[in-house]
Amino acid sequence: MADRTPYDGPILEIENLSISFFTRLREIPAVMDFSCTVMPGEAMGLVGESGCGKSTVALGVMQDLGVNGRVVGGTIKFKGRDLNKMSQEELRDLRGSEIAMIYQEPMASLNPAMKIGKQLMEVPMIHEGKSEKEAYQLALEVVQDVRLPDPERMLKSYPHQLSGGQQQRIVIAMALMSKPSLLILDEPTTALDVTVEAGIVDLVKGLGEKYGTSMLFISHNLGLVLETCDRLCVMYSGEAVETGRIADVFDNMQHPYTQALFRSIPLPGADKNARPLIAIPGNFPLPHERPPGCNFGPRCNYFEEGRCNADAIPMAELDHGDRHATRCLRYAEIDWDAPPEVAASTEKATIGDVVLKIDNLKKYYEVAANALFGGGDKKVVKANETLTFEARESETLAIVGESGCGKSTLAKVLMGLETATDGEILLGNKPIQNTPIEERDTGTVSNVQMVFQNPFDTLNPSMTVGRQIIRALEIFKIGKNEAERRERMLELLDLVKLPRAFADRMPRQLSGGQKQRVGIARAFAGDAKIVVADEPVSALDVSVQAAVTDLLMEIQRREKTTLLFISHDLSIVRYLSDRVMVMYLGHVVELGDTEQVFSPPYHPYTEALLSAVPIADTSIEKQHIVLEGDIPSAMNPPSGCPFQTRCRWKSDVPGGLCDKEVPPMRTLADGHEIKCHLSEDILSRMEPVIKIAAE
Amino acid sequence: MDLLTWTGQFGSFLNPLILASVVIFLAGFFTNFVLTVAGVRPGELEIQGDGTMAINSTPADYALATMKYAVLLFVLCCIGYIIGGLVLPTMEQKGIFGAVGQRFLPVWIALIVTFALSITFKRRLGLYGKLFDSLIGMIGFGLVMFWVFSAIFASLVAPFDALDQISSMRNEVPGTPTPEGEAFSHYLFGGDRLGRDVFSRMVLGSTYVLQIAPLATLFAFMVGITLGLPAGYIGGKLDTVLTFVANLVLAFPVILLFYLLVTPEIVQAGVPQYMSMVLFLFPIIFLVVLFNSRYHTQPTIRNVLVGIAAVVGFWLYFSLISDRANLDSAVRFWPESVDLFNIPGNLLIVFVSVVFVNSPTVFRIVRGITLDVKTRDYVAAAQTRGEGPWYIMLWEILPNARGPLIVDFCLRIGYTTILLGTLGFFGLGLSPESPDWGSTINEGRRLLTVYPHPALPPALALMSLVLGLNLLADGLREESLKD
Repeated sequence: MADRTPYDGPILEIENLSISFFTRLREIPAVMDFSCTVMPGEAMGLVGESGCGKSTVALGVMQDLGVNGRVVGGTIKFKGRDLNKMSQEELRDLRGSEIAMIYQEPMASLNPAMKIGKQLMEVPMIHEGKSEKEAYQLALEVVQDVRLPDPERMLKSYPHQLSGGQQQRIVIAMALMSKPSLLILDEPTTALDVTVEAGIVDLVKGLGEKYGTSMLFISHNLGLVLETCDRLCVMYSGEAVETGRIADVFDNMQHPYTQALFRSIPLPGADKNARPLIAIPGNFPLPHERPPGCNFGPRCNYFEEGRCNADAIPMAELDHGDRHATRCLRYAEIDWDAPPEVAASTEKATIGDVVLKIDNLKKYYEVAANALFGGGDKKVVKANETLTFEARESETLAIVGESGCGKSTLAKVLMGLETATDGEILLGNKPIQNTPIEERDTGTVSNVQMVFQNPFDTLNPSMTVGRQIIRALEIFKIGKNEAERRERMLELLDLVKLPRAFADRMPRQLSGGQKQRVGIARAFAGDAKIVVADEPVSALDVSVQAAVTDLLMEIQRREKTTLLFISHDLSIVRYLSDRVMVMYLGHVVELGDTEQVFSPPYHPYTEALLSAVPIADTSIEKQHIVLEGDIPSAMNPPSGCPFQTRCRWKSDVPGGLCDKEVPPMRTLADGHEIKCHLSEDILSRMEPVIKIAAE
Repeated sequence: MDLLTWTGQFGSFLNPLILASVVIFLAGFFTNFVLTVAGVRPGELEIQGDGTMAINSTPADYALATMKYAVLLFVLCCIGYIIGGLVLPTMEQKGIFGAVGQRFLPVWIALIVTFALSITFKRRLGLYGKLFDSLIGMIGFGLVMFWVFSAIFASLVAPFDALDQISSMRNEVPGTPTPEGEAFSHYLFGGDRLGRDVFSRMVLGSTYVLQIAPLATLFAFMVGITLGLPAGYIGGKLDTVLTFVANLVLAFPVILLFYLLVTPEIVQAGVPQYMSMVLFLFPIIFLVVLFNSRYHTQPTIRNVLVGIAAVVGFWLYFSLISDRANLDSAVRFWPESVDLFNIPGNLLIVFVSVVFVNSPTVFRIVRGITLDVKTRDYVAAAQTRGEGPWYIMLWEILPNARGPLIVDFCLRIGYTTILLGTLGFFGLGLSPESPDWGSTINEGRRLLTVYPHPALPPALALMSLVLGLNLLADGLREESLKD
């Protein structure tokens, strides 16, 4: 049993930590010379792109590096005791009781064959030897603390009976069961929807205050870190490059990488035409191919030959701010306030004629209650309910919504992978709602193409990149012979700014961003008129996102393509779209110009969505709206308005109208429509969710 | 002439050494066992302050090292026997092991060349090259290739023919000299009940096993893939029906099925031949669909490839199933002038049964992988550009299912080999005098208590081949997971 003697010093002190993984060929240094201190009750954020070593630090603290990983230098002190020197038994006592960890995938952290209650009760029974009764009481308390409804029923259920958000709350509850001094959260909300994420973030913040737990919060999302943490540490390629209080680092950054990172994320005010994002040039170095001197050197605007690439660069403590440090030799010389060199701003493309018109589209699925014999009651899943909208040439229409809102079904119907139940889709003047893809002619197929979400899945791993593009050309009947198609394929590679040599590479030799570019090239192979981009950048690192987004915009401008941009990330939507359509449970709840949708009056759901998205800007003030509960199942939607179960304005509608009927689509302003019962004067009283504080 | 000793002249000093290696190995094993029970762990790698690493050895490490060296010594002694067989002049000096080693000379040369070439170029050879990074994989590959080369060079290795009988050599023990004027001076592994050379029959038997097993497995894979892909990809009623049929076949006792297939009435009725007509159609369908789906956008290339596949495929197909010369045959329409070959009836039965029994399992594996792979975005990408279902199945899904399939292929050749042995053992299928390992074991079984030597060599050969295939599959699986 862990002794719980009070301890005043820092909870966690990491000094010059280096961690390496040993493979057959070489030693791969994952973390180098990493130092940080977490005081009691403090929340420390670790931020960086994938592969920068942030998770390795967490695993190092847990002393769980696997067979190949080893701490090769430095110390990790937890409450003054060196974790590196502890025996396995001592570590076992600490883990799960004094240090608890929460992982990204909640389902992977829960035992699917054990009831929630049993799993929670195990913690105090093992670590503190409590009786079953005491443990049950404690479990009940903690489940209430993580704001789960009906705790007693929760304890009796199995993990698969809960939704993703509820599962993650249970995992947090499990971590809190032993009242740990240090909580490590490794991307705890990445697998969740934004509104659910907002709930979890709110919870974590509250718990830190209530239990006085110190936290190590690992994330790639700067906005999330801003909302949850007191201090942060920016990591790049295995090293901490800048560390300090949130306010110091966000508003007074002293490292070129931090600066570049902030310039590549779409903050309010960025605009695809006037103020485009600035992508970080080059690629993340592989761990065994790091440059000498500064790791960020080759991608840095302030790089100085002979100085930045001479020796390893130490962390330099700054004289202002609280424990603010940077790993840059030139921080004193750089003018941090200089405005960025604006990448050539472009003309706003003129929006042309309507190319796609969708009228009253419905898509229902019939699901047999008993799958084995096909008998029994049939249930109808209303995946898309009376969708009406149109898209014009050269226009970017963003489709926003959380998982289960029907945006993927819409894409499927549009592509012809499913046929519509009712309604009409007009492509040009041709109705295509009932033509499955096999019956569409080549022109129609090549006109509507798709860019997929997961870069690691979008290319066939056993075919060369060139071959896959050529195949698309063959199918679209472009080019008379192999040589012509090869030439066209090379041109397409130029279009997405990939070297022509990539034609003969296998997909596994490409990075995520490069694969996504090939995916874009493939979609544009047949001069597509309409491209459905299903979260094309959400799986990419921040610095790559900007480059891929800009590429899409550039191609769109040149080819006059209509882009249907499916996303849940409102920051990027605000940055690049001309019009926005918000979907919830198969319904379009709001449709309008980007300006109209992002400013009041809102649909209540849009309002909550806007509030949920974390924004990495300290000057932003947000209204705090957290939605209760989860998205209802499409199998069993609520009566009346689909959003009524979570709506905070429901009481403002007289006569329980929300429970009874689905609101009609109302036009508020020219081209701005919402599906809500709220009266005009209430709508007009709505305040903007995001306010930029006066400087 | 005298009876040969097992180890010959080198035995006088190699025998004590090999015995010592066994004793040391056992001693090391028990020490390690006791130490582990007592709680001593092998030493761990530690990083020292100056950037170097050190292993702090414990007694358990030393015990493990001792075992390793004992195995090495054992292997060296075995190589010593073979070298003895190659360099010493007379049969008496070579001993049985030496002489056997010498008979296998072509096999050794081929093995050394294969390994030398493969290891030199292993970085360029993809998964096959990676195999040479794993000791297990190399041992497995070595064992398999040993029997493959034995089958290829069987006529060079085997001193006698499979059916040569020397009446005075009946049931003679290993190393017995043959009478003057015979093809070879000794029966190295003795003679069987009819006075035939056990060693020669073992070597010649490998030809049968290695011809039928891989080919039958390949056919089973063709059937399994051609049915499994649509079952997994299209799903629905088709899947339900196919899976049900596969379950039916799997639920039927295999041996009973074999007995049924060789029952004279059933053979008379032509059931095996009709079955072969259906089963052998699958490879042709597979190839035609494969080429058509890939090249349907370029009709010229498509027509040439599909044409070649269809003509060659159907020629082989009709040659295979039709037998005009045999009056009992159920299918006799293919003119003899273009009939390339005829398969003996019982060989066909063995082949059909093995394919029939193996394909449902392959079907299930392929169906399972397809269900997983079809959810990938590249499959959706193919769908959204209007590819046909067969292109998606054969060119998008199948290549990405190859990993588990290659491993299963190796394992399945092993099962098929055992199945062939079982068939031979029950006297089903191949003719009783055939030298295949199953029949030979069955033959030797009758006098097993008195003369164990005729049954043991084929049994050990079967064991080593299957062991080799399993190790090879393990090695492939292990290496394909690494990067």
